[in-house]
Amino acid sequence: MDKEFIEHGFSLNRRRFLSSMGVGIGSVALGSLLMPDLFGLGADKNGLPPGIPHFAPKAKRVIYLFQNGAPSQQELFDYKPMLREMNGKEMPASVRGTQRLTGMSAFQDAYPLAGSFVDFKQYGQSRAWISDLLPYTAKIADELCIIRSMHTEAINHDPALTFLQTGAQQGNRPSMGSWLSYGLGSENKNLPSFTVLLSRGIGNGQGVYSRLWSSGFLDSVHQGVQFSKGEDPVLYLKDNEGTSRQERRQMLDKLSELNDLSYQQFGDPEITTRIKQYEMAYRMQTAVPDVMDLSKEPDSIVNMYGPDCLVPGTFAANCLLARKLSEKGVRFVQLYHQGWDQHGDLPFEIASQAKDVDQASAALVMDLKQRGLLDETLVIWGGEFGRTSYTQGKLTKDNYGRDHHPRCFTVWMAGGGIKPGMVYGETDDFGYNIIKDPVHVHDFQATVLNQLGLDHEKLIFKHLGRRYRLTDVSGKVIRDIIS
Amino acid sequence: MSYKIKNLANQFLIVLNVFVLFFLLFSKYLVIPFWLQPFGRMHTLLLHFPIVILILGVILGLRRFSATYNSNTIFENLVDSFLLLGSILAGVTVIMGLFLSREGGYSGDALLWHKWMGAGIFLLSSVMCWLRNKVWYKKTLAWCLGSGMVIIIIITGHFGGILTHGENFIIQPILSNIKEPLVPIDKAIVFDHLVKPIFDKKCASCHNLNKQKGELSFADSLSILKGGKDGKLYVSGDPQKSLLFQRIHLPLDDEKHMPPSSKSQLSLDEINLLGWWIKNKASFTQKVTELPEADSLKVLAYKLLKGPAAVEESYDFNAADEKKITNLNTDYRTIRPISKESPGLDVRIFNKETYSVNQLEELNEIKEQVISLSLAKLPVKNEDLKKVVMFNNLRKLDINFTEVTTNGLATLSSLQHLQSLSLSGTKVSFLGLKEIITTLKTLKTITLWNTSLSASEIGLLQKSFKNINFIEGFSINLNEQLKLNPPQVKNGSFVFGKSVKVELFHPINGTELRYTIDGKDPDSSTSPIFDSKLLITNTSNIKVKAYRKGWFSSEVAVFGFIKNSFIPDSAVLLTQLDRVHQAEGANTFFNSILGTFGANSPAWANYFAGVVDNDLVAMYFFNQPIILSSFGMHYMVEEKTNIYPPTSVEVWGGNDAKNLRLLTKLKPKLPLEGEEHTLQIIEGLFKWQKVSCIKVIAKPYLKIKPKSKGKGNDKTKTLLLVDEMFLN
Repeated sequence: MDKEFIEHGFSLNRRRFLSSMGVGIGSVALGSLLMPDLFGLGADKNGLPPGIPHFAPKAKRVIYLFQNGAPSQQELFDYKPMLREMNGKEMPASVRGTQRLTGMSAFQDAYPLAGSFVDFKQYGQSRAWISDLLPYTAKIADELCIIRSMHTEAINHDPALTFLQTGAQQGNRPSMGSWLSYGLGSENKNLPSFTVLLSRGIGNGQGVYSRLWSSGFLDSVHQGVQFSKGEDPVLYLKDNEGTSRQERRQMLDKLSELNDLSYQQFGDPEITTRIKQYEMAYRMQTAVPDVMDLSKEPDSIVNMYGPDCLVPGTFAANCLLARKLSEKGVRFVQLYHQGWDQHGDLPFEIASQAKDVDQASAALVMDLKQRGLLDETLVIWGGEFGRTSYTQGKLTKDNYGRDHHPRCFTVWMAGGGIKPGMVYGETDDFGYNIIKDPVHVHDFQATVLNQLGLDHEKLIFKHLGRRYRLTDVSGKVIRDIIS
Repeated sequence: MSYKIKNLANQFLIVLNVFVLFFLLFSKYLVIPFWLQPFGRMHTLLLHFPIVILILGVILGLRRFSATYNSNTIFENLVDSFLLLGSILAGVTVIMGLFLSREGGYSGDALLWHKWMGAGIFLLSSVMCWLRNKVWYKKTLAWCLGSGMVIIIIITGHFGGILTHGENFIIQPILSNIKEPLVPIDKAIVFDHLVKPIFDKKCASCHNLNKQKGELSFADSLSILKGGKDGKLYVSGDPQKSLLFQRIHLPLDDEKHMPPSSKSQLSLDEINLLGWWIKNKASFTQKVTELPEADSLKVLAYKLLKGPAAVEESYDFNAADEKKITNLNTDYRTIRPISKESPGLDVRIFNKETYSVNQLEELNEIKEQVISLSLAKLPVKNEDLKKVVMFNNLRKLDINFTEVTTNGLATLSSLQHLQSLSLSGTKVSFLGLKEIITTLKTLKTITLWNTSLSASEIGLLQKSFKNINFIEGFSINLNEQLKLNPPQVKNGSFVFGKSVKVELFHPINGTELRYTIDGKDPDSSTSPIFDSKLLITNTSNIKVKAYRKGWFSSEVAVFGFIKNSFIPDSAVLLTQLDRVHQAEGANTFFNSILGTFGANSPAWANYFAGVVDNDLVAMYFFNQPIILSSFGMHYMVEEKTNIYPPTSVEVWGGNDAKNLRLLTKLKPKLPLEGEEHTLQIIEGLFKWQKVSCIKVIAKPYLKIKPKSKGKGNDKTKTLLLVDEMFLN
């Protein structure tokens, strides 16, 4: 008898089954009314209308003074007296651990530690150690947040540079400036929202490539525009001789009519982008010469940035230009200064590189401050990775070199709501491994976006069926350095 | 209960189950419209019913297994209904709770536990409802499920209590007597809230009023000042000399190390904090907020006291119509919300050519919403500020480098929310400024760089308005003059035919350029001043130095101008160039372009032609015979990278290729090991000859080094790189 009861319990009749299921599905349907995003209906709502931050930003603009080639932290910001004490002695194997090395020093017979040839002193209220190679930077220690615990994943220049700028090593993604342009739009419609300025020192140089300021899969209006030195800062911007502005206008009007027609035919968004670019270029024709004209800068400014600021193409001139562009509302001004790759002959080369950038970098920060712009402009200074504590090649009394080192490097930030006058993170006595508060490249990027009012997890773009972010799939905002 | 109602209720229970499962699975997509929010908020009201009814149902349900049960059908019905009703109410409560949780303000582990356990109760009770009439539903199972349910209900209720009333709500009255709540950072006092707790935690167990080891007590400020039997605790302002620090820094195994090794030690943060406190004169009354900004102690204080994260300002006005904002945006005026969902607007106007006061007037419709306005570097006049005043919610105003003067500033007094005012490069006066600042109570920052105010005047202002941050100009002063950068030349090429006008220049206006052409270094008194009329006709090295008052003179810049009188009409290479150093082939040597150093420089790769494996042999032809008396060759030497001068250079000349005679043979000097890289020129002079054809043979150097172990020699080929040749 029990058995029959049990079987009866299991055998639902069809009508009951269907009616229950109908009720079930009905309730799912009812519930889904409250979930507009569930079935991909509103998926694209994630992409905000460009130009509005997620939350109130501390910074509105960024100036990134990229030190291309990877400056040696041991000679600039990360004071390691131990290296001097142990100068010439073999680096303990336990310090290096299983770290991979580049092909340039992996086959060395020995890894003697190299102490810094330059002295350090403490500055500012944070008592930050800064090398004698950077006397001007030392003077503004109270404005800087020095992060000594940056680390990256790449060990060679190109991938490391690409990683820092785009969040991936392969180089098919949008650059940081493009992401900001995409997320925040342009403040000044007469200038591109992402501009790039290049300079080089006499040190061993590494290339920069235009894909570092590429917009990747984002709309190409977000691409970085390179301003070069000389009479024609933006290539092909000038009208041909004999073309009046009126004629130019008429030409552009006709051209955009034609472009409009083909847009209606093909619907390729790049066509509308191109129309926008032409219009922007037309407006830039008047805006750019005004920005590029450094002759009206007063003596005090020339004094501040150093005499090189009037020599086009130098780092100092680019810093001054960066300030002018930023002041005019350019979201992201990216400088690259080449020549920091000191595999050999380090003392001579780094001294000259430091001299190139020291005064102008400090001047830029203070110039922004005296205009009341520092609190809304984030200035970043740093390279793509660090350099080894052991010497590459021969260690002599006054000469040595350092190889690439991704495990730790130093970057400083100023303004833009970053805590001034602090040192963050720490490396071990050998300056080889981070022992406190590591900052991964993605953490750094997340923090930069955060300062501009963007949530790095929400600033995404859907491409080839996947949602992409600058910080890829990781990264956390470093709250400790935010004021 | 009638069968019909019961059936309906059962159906409803199924619906609820599906509903709840669905919501739980996709809860992060859930968006609650405002009209449903009251429903969610009733969660806290409704939840009490299912608790009581379910517990009742469970307890009564257990009675079923007793012997007297079957005789009482009313009782049987009642239990069924209790469970069914309880389950339905639980389901509704769960849904309400889910809605409520999406409203925000709830988060963390407590929510997570509450949510899943609450849902668990509902599912469990539904299961009990459905299974309890099965034959195999026996006493043990019923007991297990029943007691499980009651326990979960209690735990869930507890987490719910935490969510509504906060943690430790029940024992709070007892706790609060033991532990002080954290002080808000703006009320915190350095000693009371940072220093004292360290003493209390790490020292006071042995050094208190009742137990004064070493006659020392940390009970109050008086006893701390008094010190112990070994003397005072610290020297105000100098932590290094303080007894406190000596004891802390003694090795852990030292008898006098404090706290004793068996006790809990001071953390690094705590040591730093004590150090900074003593350094700051060990005040007992100073507030944390009074510390200078960016002071290490303050930074640490914020860390320890967990200063509240900066809260976004909320505004008491409504957002402007988005369409209006879009319409008002132009190429020269950008209007954008401060952030997503913020009604505040940020306005920037650009381009002095297109600026007019109309651009401000047009913003009348959104005047409430503008909280930040930038008019920097525009020809803004005093009258225009009358328009600016209509933005009565303005927080930030940037009028750097405008035509605004003191008279105009007075109009700003009605901006009662203004926090930041940038006045760099404007004509404002001390008195006028002082007046306007007094009326603007909310002001926090004023930028005054490049105004007529002197440093002492700004100092006075700073004194009278302590809460305002005055930003004045900044000049990096290392107590030394700066050095001028070296002069430059504008000439396109350093190779010339008959003569060349040298165009020296310096980027800094007003510099004096003094030069020499005799090889001596220029000086500031005897060397001629460059006046744009420097014409040279022979190969020469010009040395230039820049001078300017108030600056150190520049380093000497050397510009070599090289004369080449004849350019061949045709050229042919008789040997091959190295694969990677092709440059322009035979034409490289007479294109008037000199190369430079650096393998990454285009001027290195493109202008030097080179050979390694064979001699460099080139022939040049002239349509008209030339009179030749000298030959020069310009080449690179970089010992480090194996770029060497040629061993020898032979120059042959004649009327045609078949009748050539040796004109000259040159032997360049070889570089020493470790020598710096240079660009060199070697020249051979000979008696003038009439030639129509020249042949040049340059042999790369073969480096021969004795082998280290004394067996034979190492031969290394070197690279010869030549960029120009000169015929005169």
